[in-house]
Amino acid sequence: MLTEFGKIFVFLLVAVIFVIALVIVAWLIRPSRPTKEKLMTYECGENPEGSPWVKFNIRFYVVALIFLIFDVEVVLLIPWALVYRQFGLGGFMVGAIFLIMLGLGMAYEWRKGDLEWERAKIIPPVIKRPVFSSKETREAEPVKSKQLV
Amino acid sequence: MSFLDQQFDDNIIIAKVDDLFNWARLSSLWQVGFGLACCAIEMMATSASHYDFDRFGVIPRPSPRQSDIIIISGTVTLKMALRVKRLYEQMPDPKYVISMGSCSNCGGPYWEHGYHVLKGVDRVIPVDVYVPGCPPRPEALLEGLMKLQEKVRNESVIRKSS
Amino acid sequence: MKTEEEIFNLLKENFNDDIMELVKQPVDHYILCNPLKINEISLFLLSNEELLFDSLMNLSGVDDANGTSTIKEGITTIEGGTLSVYYHLESTKFRHKIILRISTPREKPEAASVALVWRSADWHEREAFDLLGIIFLNHPDLRRILMPYDWDAGYPLRKDYANPEFYHGMKVPY
Repeated sequence: MLTEFGKIFVFLLVAVIFVIALVIVAWLIRPSRPTKEKLMTYECGENPEGSPWVKFNIRFYVVALIFLIFDVEVVLLIPWALVYRQFGLGGFMVGAIFLIMLGLGMAYEWRKGDLEWERAKIIPPVIKRPVFSSKETREAEPVKSKQLV
Repeated sequence: MSFLDQQFDDNIIIAKVDDLFNWARLSSLWQVGFGLACCAIEMMATSASHYDFDRFGVIPRPSPRQSDIIIISGTVTLKMALRVKRLYEQMPDPKYVISMGSCSNCGGPYWEHGYHVLKGVDRVIPVDVYVPGCPPRPEALLEGLMKLQEKVRNESVIRKSS
Repeated sequence: MKTEEEIFNLLKENFNDDIMELVKQPVDHYILCNPLKINEISLFLLSNEELLFDSLMNLSGVDDANGTSTIKEGITTIEGGTLSVYYHLESTKFRHKIILRISTPREKPEAASVALVWRSADWHEREAFDLLGIIFLNHPDLRRILMPYDWDAGYPLRKDYANPEFYHGMKVPY
């Protein structure tokens, strides 16, 4: 007789075999008419420029990591929220400590500037526009016409 | 060489297989999420809850690789026509085209003085169903889709490859 | 707040020959200027403390079609005449408005660019170049903006424009 884990194993086996069988059957019967256009990288109809294997900015890594931490936080907090009444003050304290530690970590990240996204420097415009002060009187900076060309 | 790229003699099994494939195809016509002009607003309205394109199995897909149908909804400019052609080429077979609105049927109001408009998208890609209107109401688009389903229902593996 | 005459006189003092005339119309008067000096005139209009035209509301190109047109076998060709550009300006401080106009010869439509004076002129000038073929000198990036980059059949909004028969193998006329 199968044990409980054995039943789960059968389920897993059926799932894997089912998926593999579907892929093979689809591969056998589907029409396959590849063309050069069809195999081209999809760029919304534009001509693809360069390799699609571009490097992503390393700063996305930090954002992803922070997202992951708070994602896990939600996963851990939902079961805790369901049962914390049964555990009274002790249960509440456990959750609170967890949240405080997370908050401290967040504050640390913020303080270290990991949430900042440094931008490239904006190239200043060639012509100086008239500078309007916040007061009623707006005055123009005199601009020499030689700067134009 | 896969099963559907071959030719078969006409017999009872092939007829039933045809029915099965056609039923599967016409019930899940996934469309390319693709709008060109004001007709696209009507297309979006058709996809929304009131008209509910989804009950026909029409789901907008973000990539032509996963789509069966492209709805050319709006004015096809000459600049866009090259892109439309490539999007169509990048869809997997079998693929269907609905031309929606006067502009993509025949150039619409730009037919004479529109220096930038392709006078009908059928000059670039083969069109299955034309939906007239400027823009067509969502009911008209649903009607066009049902016409396309009728067309798919009568297809055959044998006839298609011959 | 200054009237058109006052602005015209102020401009005339500073750029005597490059400001041609103040053309009076029932609604909008405009000042006719030298197309090659329009950048300096614009900069003066922008930076003069009594004018402060800090907003370029619109910049539009026009084919005046005032040359001699000949129609041969259904194809119109226009020789001579001018292409014009209109500049609609407004000062957000003084609330006065003015319209400038420049006219360039059709055979050599060149005008100075004001894209460095008002940044909003950048794309407007590209559009005027795209559709009418007016060449803006010293424009930072004068490419076609609406038509395809490889469009070689001319400038569509000119009065003697004829559509090409084919574009990339696609038939263009109806």
